[in-house]
Amino acid sequence: MPGMTYAQVEQTVLETLRPARLKYWAVVALVFLGLLTGAACWAYQIAMGIGVGGHNIPVVWGTYLINFVFWVGIAHSGTLISAILYLFRAGWRTPIARAAETMTVFAVCIAGLFPFIHLGRVWMVYYILPYPNERTLWPNFQSPLVFDMVAISTYLTVSSLFWYTGMLPDLATVRDRATGLRKKIYQIISLGWTGRYEQWRHYSRAYLFFAALATPLVISVHSVVSWDFALGIMPGWHSTIFAPYFVAGAIHSGLAMVLTLMIPLRRIFHYEAFITEDILDNVAKTIILTGLIVGYAYIVEYFLAWYSNNAVEQESFRWRAFGHYSLEFWIMVICNTVVPLLFFFRKVRRSIPWLFTISILINIGMWYERFVIIVGGSAHDFMPNAWGLYSPSFIEYGILMGSFSMFFFLFLLFVKHLPSVSITELKEGVYQGGSHVL
Amino acid sequence: MSSEKHVMALFEDDAQAASAIEGLAGYPWKLERVHSPIPSDNILHALKMKKSKVGWSTLAGGIIGFFSGIGLAIYTATEWNLIMSGKPVVALIPFLIVGFEFTILFAVFGNVVGLLLQTNLPEFKSLQNYDEKCSGEHFGLLASCAEGEETRLMAYLQEKGGEARLI
Repeated sequence: MPGMTYAQVEQTVLETLRPARLKYWAVVALVFLGLLTGAACWAYQIAMGIGVGGHNIPVVWGTYLINFVFWVGIAHSGTLISAILYLFRAGWRTPIARAAETMTVFAVCIAGLFPFIHLGRVWMVYYILPYPNERTLWPNFQSPLVFDMVAISTYLTVSSLFWYTGMLPDLATVRDRATGLRKKIYQIISLGWTGRYEQWRHYSRAYLFFAALATPLVISVHSVVSWDFALGIMPGWHSTIFAPYFVAGAIHSGLAMVLTLMIPLRRIFHYEAFITEDILDNVAKTIILTGLIVGYAYIVEYFLAWYSNNAVEQESFRWRAFGHYSLEFWIMVICNTVVPLLFFFRKVRRSIPWLFTISILINIGMWYERFVIIVGGSAHDFMPNAWGLYSPSFIEYGILMGSFSMFFFLFLLFVKHLPSVSITELKEGVYQGGSHVL
Repeated sequence: MSSEKHVMALFEDDAQAASAIEGLAGYPWKLERVHSPIPSDNILHALKMKKSKVGWSTLAGGIIGFFSGIGLAIYTATEWNLIMSGKPVVALIPFLIVGFEFTILFAVFGNVVGLLLQTNLPEFKSLQNYDEKCSGEHFGLLASCAEGEETRLMAYLQEKGGEARLI
C-alpha cells in the first residue's frame, strides 16, 4: 500500500460498513429467495423421502456428496491464504486473507449440511455421535466416514475460531468509530480489546500458533475426504494418489473462488488500492501451479490404471473418457487443466474479465471433477450387470442452487457488517519499521 | 497521602512512543499501559517484555487432545470387542487419524483459552481510560504520577513528541 496512511486504510474499509443502498438489499433478497428455494426442496425431500433425488442402485452417492466435496474444497484456499501463506510471510495475502477466511467458514458450514441432506432421515444424525447408548454400539472409528465427521467438525471449529480471533483488533477499530447500538454490539463482540501491549504480545503468539495448527489440519481434512472414496474398493476410487490429488484440487477450486469473490468485491468497495492487480496476478500464478498438479494427478490416474494391468480398472478409466459421462470428463479436463494454462500469459493474468471468466470455468470444472469421480466410479464398477446411470433430479438441482445462494447470502451479509479486509494487517503493511510476529 | 493522577499521551510515531517509554524509567512516574493500533517492535523492545507463554496452554491442549482421541477410539472399539474383516479391534493406524484431529482441535481450544486468560479478555474496564484514537493511527501511553507532578509529566511527554492530556 505505497503512500497510504493508517487513516486512509481505515477510512476505505470502514466506508464499506456504511448503511447499504437499496440495490444491495435487492441482491440480498434475490439470493435469499434462492436459499429459500433450496430449503423448500430439502423440506420436500424430508417429507417425501430420499427417493425424490436421482439416486439409485448402483449410484447411491449423487449431487449431495458432490456438493459436499466441492464445498469442502472451496473452504481450503481460505486456510491456505490465511495460514500457510502467513507462515511463508507472503505479504500479498494480506488484503485478501479476511475474505478468504470468511469464505472458508461459510463453505465448511454449507459442506457440513450435505451429509445431513444426504442422510434422508436427518433426525437420525445423532447416530454418528460417540455417545453411550443402551446397546453399547459406538461409531466405528475405523471408518473413513467417521474420520470425516471428526475432521470436518474440527475444521469448522478451528477455522471459525481463527477467523474470529483474527478479527478482534478490527472489531475494536469499528467499535471506536461507531455510535449508538452499533457501538454496543461491536463493544461486546470485540471483547473489550484495547490494543494494550499485553494483548498484542499474547495475541501475536496465539495467531502464529493458529496458523501453525491450521496448516496440517487443512491438508488432513481433504485427505480424509479423499479416503471416503480411496478406502473403498471401487475401481476409480481405490487409489493412493487420492489424498494429494484431492488437496491440490481443493486449493485449485478455492483459489478460483477467491478470484470470483475478490474481483466484484474490489470493484464495488473501491478496494483497488489494496487488492491490486499484482495480488490477483499472484493468485493466478498459484492457480497455474495447482492446475498443473491436478493435471498431473489426472495423468497419473490413467498411468496407474494401465500399469496395474487390472481389466476392471482399465475399463473404468476408458469409460470415464469415452463413456456416458465423457462430456463431463472433458469439461473437467479442459476447465481444470487447459484453461488455467492461459494464466501463463501476463496479459491474461492482468485482465479482470479474463481472470473472472477463468475463475468461474475452474469452479465449473472442479464441480464436474467431483461428478466424474463420484458418479463415474459407482455407475461403472466391477460387474457389467450392476452398471447403471444417474442424473440429478430437480430437487437436487434446487438444493444445489440453494447452497450457492446460501453461500452468497452469507458473504453479502458479511461484507456489509464486518470488515472484509483486515485493517490491522493492512496498517502493518503501511508500517515500515516493525514485523508482525512479536 | 497524595492521590495518583493519570496522563494519556498520544504519539503519531511508535519510535517516539518507545523513546518516551524508555525515558520514563529515569523519573518517579509509573507507566500504566501502552496501546497501539498494530504490534510494534520498537515499543516491544522498550517495554522489555518477555515472550508470551500462550504456547504452553496450546501444547497442553494438544497433548490432552491426542490422548482423548486415541482413548475414545480404543475405548469404543473395546466396548464392542468383535474382530471384523480380520482387522484388529484396536487398530492403531486409523485411530491415529482420530488422535491427530483431536490434537489439533484441543490445541486450538488450549490456544484460545490461553489467549483469553493471559489477556484477561473479555474485559471492558480498560475502555474507561482508553483513547479511541489508539485503534486508529496513534500510539497511546498512559502514565501515572503523584498529585502535583502531572504538569512535569505532561511536559515530559510533550517534549517526546506526544499530545498529552490529563484524565
